Amino acid sequence: MTIPAPTLALEARAVAVRYGDAPVLADLQLQVSAGETMVLLGPSGSGKTTFLYAVAGFVEIAAGELWISGHLVSAARTLVPPEDRDVAVVFQHYALWPHLSALDTVAYPLRRSGQPANEARRRAADLLELMGVGQLAARRPAELSGGEQQRVGVARALARDAGLVLLDEPTAHLDAPLRAALAAELADRRRRSGAAAVYATHDVTEALAIADRVALLRDGRVVQLGMPSEIYDAPVDLWAARLSGPASVLHATVVNGGLVRLADVEAPAALASRAVIGPGLAELLVRPDWVSLGGPLPGRVTGIWFRGPHTDYRLETPAGPLELREPGSPRAVEGEAVGWTLRRAWIIGSEDGDRGA
Amino acid sequence: MAERRWRLAAWGGVLAALGLLAAWPLARLAAEGLGSGLGALVGGIGGPGAGAIVNSLWVSLAVTGLALAAGLAAAMLTERSAVAGRSALRLAILAPLVIPDFVSAMSWTRAYGPVGLSHRLLGVELPGLIGPAGIVVVLAVGAVPLAYLILVGGMRVRAEPDLERAARASGAGSWTAFRTVTLPLLWPALVAAGGLVFVTSMNAFGTPAVLGRPAGFSTMTTRIYGDLAFASSDEAFRRVISLSVLMVVVAVSIVGVVDRLGGRAVPRTGVSTGPRASAGRAPWWATTVAWTVVTLAVLVPLAALVLTALTRAVGLAPVPANLTVANFGRALDARALGDLGNSVLLAAGTAVAAVVLGLVATAAGSRWRPRLNSVVTLTFAVPGSVLAVAMLLAYGSALRDTLAIIGVAYLAKLWALGQRPISGAADRLSGDLLYAARASGASLLTAVRTVVLPLLAPAIAAGAILVFVFALHEVTISILLYGPRTATLAVTILNLQQVGDPVLTSALAVVLTAVVALLAGLLLLVVRRWPWAGGVLG
Repeated sequence: MTIPAPTLALEARAVAVRYGDAPVLADLQLQVSAGETMVLLGPSGSGKTTFLYAVAGFVEIAAGELWISGHLVSAARTLVPPEDRDVAVVFQHYALWPHLSALDTVAYPLRRSGQPANEARRRAADLLELMGVGQLAARRPAELSGGEQQRVGVARALARDAGLVLLDEPTAHLDAPLRAALAAELADRRRRSGAAAVYATHDVTEALAIADRVALLRDGRVVQLGMPSEIYDAPVDLWAARLSGPASVLHATVVNGGLVRLADVEAPAALASRAVIGPGLAELLVRPDWVSLGGPLPGRVTGIWFRGPHTDYRLETPAGPLELREPGSPRAVEGEAVGWTLRRAWIIGSEDGDRGA
Repeated sequence: MAERRWRLAAWGGVLAALGLLAAWPLARLAAEGLGSGLGALVGGIGGPGAGAIVNSLWVSLAVTGLALAAGLAAAMLTERSAVAGRSALRLAILAPLVIPDFVSAMSWTRAYGPVGLSHRLLGVELPGLIGPAGIVVVLAVGAVPLAYLILVGGMRVRAEPDLERAARASGAGSWTAFRTVTLPLLWPALVAAGGLVFVTSMNAFGTPAVLGRPAGFSTMTTRIYGDLAFASSDEAFRRVISLSVLMVVVAVSIVGVVDRLGGRAVPRTGVSTGPRASAGRAPWWATTVAWTVVTLAVLVPLAALVLTALTRAVGLAPVPANLTVANFGRALDARALGDLGNSVLLAAGTAVAAVVLGLVATAAGSRWRPRLNSVVTLTFAVPGSVLAVAMLLAYGSALRDTLAIIGVAYLAKLWALGQRPISGAADRLSGDLLYAARASGASLLTAVRTVVLPLLAPAIAAGAILVFVFALHEVTISILLYGPRTATLAVTILNLQQVGDPVLTSALAVVLTAVVALLAGLLLLVVRRWPWAGGVLG
């Protein structure tokens, strides 16, 4: 007996996109479940926008297949037009029509879905209210600030009422409360209709906060895919580690899975790795919150940044420079010799073998 | 302080030039026209004049409609779909830009007229080619590139692809997206293109002269020419003046209407970092139609013209045995070479003067530049025939039959083409660039020489070449102002055509077109060579 696979909101099978001869996406694999928020995290030029455009039907794919809610929408010779796909798009640069007021802009998708003008306007006004820009309904894009334009753009996408929402760096201009409002609204929609979201960003903090799962994108390929905590705790290589948050790399000798030697001092530390941990020289990835001040390991403070709820320190250690984060106000001064403790570390490569990227 | 003095001097120069080139001659024309009262002015038009006015207006309207429709279709095809051979198609659409309109008219008669190529090969000819229908079609073919360029520019600046994508992703089909988003955003470009095409058509002399006169069909420009060149009655002179004043009124009104209709600037939104090309592949029939039209309207007539120029004698079939290049040697006799010299001298002089005026106007500062731009655009809109008549009234007694009077009229007409690229490039220059140079220790002159001029160089080159090309094309003004020793090559070709030696005329027309095409190629190189030159033609 075969169990029918639950319908995926989006499935990308070995998708390739080329502009002229230049490959932008290559062999891209991705599955997004109904109701899931998938974040594409990558530097600019990694293919985030291109992937969203391919899903929306704005660009053709050269190879592979794209499926939305169980329908084949893109293949090498197939291109279902955007209006016939169950997708809504929030554009990175808003893409608001300069000749339409905010109200008419948000009413536009409602009109296209066949609603009468009055009904569409009423619903559009509600959506603008929801996004906190109800009082700006009569204004055109030129009379709106960047953040206000962004809210109108989000309201337009919500008006489309699609099963899959594509967001291209949508909160770049939003303040924190509005980000929360948008996240809450999207979550509510997911609960009600099972809508999924694909969200492209280069902001790691945002990515980790809103994602159900994160896909790290480099040169048009998915380098790592996982829950936000996996991405943070167990990056596949140094490149992924740097992209997914602040990280230091220490050179130390692994004694066993619970003990490292560093500058002739042996110290206990919870080590983890993708491979079997054997003794020898290794590169340890250390997040700032995995170390604390006070302890057996030697170091000297070279920088202090007080951030309010916590303080960031930079330490010079025999194993290399180290970033360290402690709650509260500064507890040392620059130049001071301090001890520190390594609580955990992620082995990204051994010194004689794979060094990561 | 030094800066301020420079500015004032520049302003003085600009105002003096405006006075000499436009204000005084047009004032003389107005005085002549209104001197005996409004009634006399209107009465002076008379029966034949009124007919010419009506003809000019409806021909220009028809040309505008045709050229806008074709230009919009072409722009959508090359900008919004993945059409095969896009750059070749673009080049073919733009080709008529380098072909003087009377050459275009001549080549159409060689291709589709009586004893033309199609008649020889297939036994068919285009009915109505000699007459108003032919004038409309040939003028429209020449005007399509203008409309196309403006609409493509409008699409690039205003109708960002993301805006259309947003409509599609909101559930609009391609036609609905075009109707509700693309078309409204292109409205200013459509109005601007329509205004330019209308004014250019009304200004055209060569095509109506070649295709209209044999059919007894006159427009305002050919009527003015006929009255000025062949009639010497007082009535004919009054008609010239009345028609001229009327043409100014129409041209200025058009510019006003265009300003009013398309003037509201729509700021850019949705500037995309995403891919420009849209996904849709052009349907096969659209590509086929485009290439067929381009072939029939541009390539076949040009081929017919070249074949005629290469044929040993009129009436021989264009087969290899009958072809020769000797016609070019025969056509380029001492007189034709002298005329070509006149053309090049006039074009070069006008180009240099227009660019210098553009630079001086730029130096005068940005505060009044928009208004100055409007004024020079207005003088560009004034029909060449009118400018010629005004120059005759103002400077005829001193300069009659000299190259100088033609040059002055050219400069008045083409000033805008030299100035607009330069002033556009200057507007895009950040003032901070100059300050940065000064703060790095450069004096004002050094800063201008090392920072401003290099950045303006592409615009200067583009402006100069544009003016040169247009001046080389020019026939509307020079046919009214040339004297025994100051004929331009264009005038000579047109006169030869009236006499009716198709082989020699075609040979000279090919030479003229080749020179212009060469320069246009140079212009393209200029735009490609300097990375910061993007948009100098916009």
